[in-house]
Amino acid sequence: MAVIEIQHLTYTYPTMDHPALREVSLAVEAGEFVAIIGPNGAGKSTLCYTLAGFIPHFFKGELRGEVRVAGQDIRRVRLEDWVLKVGLVFQNPFNQISGAKFTVYEEIAFGLENIGVPREEMRRRVEEVMALTGITDLANRSPYALSGGQQQRVALASILVMQPEVLVLDEPTSQLDPIGSREVFQVIRRLAHQGVTIIMAEHKVEWIAEYADRVIALADGEMIASGKPAEVLTDPRLPEYGIGISRYTAVARRAAEEGLWPPQRRLPVTLDEAVAGFRAVEEAYAHTR
Amino acid sequence: MAERLSFYLERNSPLHRLNPTTKLVVAFTLILVAFLGRGLFLPSLLFLLILLPLSFVGQVGREFLRTTLNLLLPLFAFLFVMQSLFYPGGKTVLFGFWIFAVKLEGVRFAFLTATRVLVMVSSFLLLLLTTHPGVLLLDLTQRGLPASVAYILASTLQIIPQMQAKAATILDAQRSRGLDTSGSLGRRIRALLPLVGPLVFGSLVDVEERAIAIEARGFRSSGPKTSLIEIEDRPLERALRWLCLLALILAVGSWWLWP
Repeated sequence: MAVIEIQHLTYTYPTMDHPALREVSLAVEAGEFVAIIGPNGAGKSTLCYTLAGFIPHFFKGELRGEVRVAGQDIRRVRLEDWVLKVGLVFQNPFNQISGAKFTVYEEIAFGLENIGVPREEMRRRVEEVMALTGITDLANRSPYALSGGQQQRVALASILVMQPEVLVLDEPTSQLDPIGSREVFQVIRRLAHQGVTIIMAEHKVEWIAEYADRVIALADGEMIASGKPAEVLTDPRLPEYGIGISRYTAVARRAAEEGLWPPQRRLPVTLDEAVAGFRAVEEAYAHTR
Repeated sequence: MAERLSFYLERNSPLHRLNPTTKLVVAFTLILVAFLGRGLFLPSLLFLLILLPLSFVGQVGREFLRTTLNLLLPLFAFLFVMQSLFYPGGKTVLFGFWIFAVKLEGVRFAFLTATRVLVMVSSFLLLLLTTHPGVLLLDLTQRGLPASVAYILASTLQIIPQMQAKAATILDAQRSRGLDTSGSLGRRIRALLPLVGPLVFGSLVDVEERAIAIEARGFRSSGPKTSLIEIEDRPLERALRWLCLLALILAVGSWWLWP
């Protein structure tokens, strides 16, 4: 059953003339990991805010079309309780620190205090999620005295701990190094396997290719592609729209221009696919010699 | 970045373990008794016999004395000079020099005022030194302070150092583009403008994001709330708070008893 059903969504911010999203339709199954790619200003964040209910309840503006999450019309939900169902992690980690708490441990517990989780369970969940996101050793530090990457993990942990059914992540690895990004992607995939539905706006196509179940590409508010990572990420139109492609795809595309890529073979999106492709080329050459 | 956000010093003392409200009540009682009670030496005795020993019980004696003196010595020096020389009702001249005369009434008034201020400042200081701001706010929230007010107080404590850091960054950025921040006063004031704009507008943008962030954490969630930290409130402390009320009544009553 589709957890997220969007039909002909068009949304315009109150101060804007042009819609930020145009006629977007999308259905996402429970436990699916969907990545959203697109250049800056394509509407990725807007889509994230819509699923989390901040559009239309926080940013007013004009919303047309249907958005249903877990069977509920997004226009009818109460935002203050909706956050229990859909968790939102957004870009700037610094502004996600609540400011109400003095240690990382208390910061992560803040959401649980607000929704009335008993103390024992709160401690268990906070400690679990700190181990999961690799920040156990930061427990007693001030959340403000951390690096951007550490704050980003705290921001992620603070939402994960609330155990939402749908997790919406808007560039959650922007401040993380490659190792940190990989860890976050691994955590997210594990959650997806546990049945949490994941929507993630992200630029790092190499990681998306490896971890996401589906990719949708947005450009100028419109959905220009949707499908398996291998299909969407090798779409030849992506560079025209200003969307970055994987370095493996880029290398293979260049090789294909030189006649160094098997003609019928789809371009690669991961390192393994690239290696396999070049092996095939090498073998073909070996035969001709 | 500074990890220290308030006066609070972590110690394992009986004073630290007291309920924050008890400490708040005691602090207010001491201040009110110092200001309302009679007797020239009452405030100084409150300080010497209650506050000073308590600061050592709380294992913060050194910081307590140092901070109190740093805060108040300049004020006291000024107070004594002005009042002993120019107190309006001064008649009894202690000694004089050149055109000035030091009068007993002025010295008494200065002493009483100074020791009252001393009790006021040092009671609050002792409260802040031995009480974690988060615990104090949590306790007040549980006693009916609206969560939003507690949030504003707690986040202000944390945001001030952040704003300072941000101001320093903006200033560095403007300087690296050739903004001159040295020179005459007028020039320095003019140099402030390119600092204030980005700081204020940047903070407004931050406010919106922070509102989303705390909303996403269920801050306005409609159900009952719980808290991570449990704050003890022993019956003995409740008794102590009633005792404070009694002391207050006595201090006020002394005006009727000994007119």
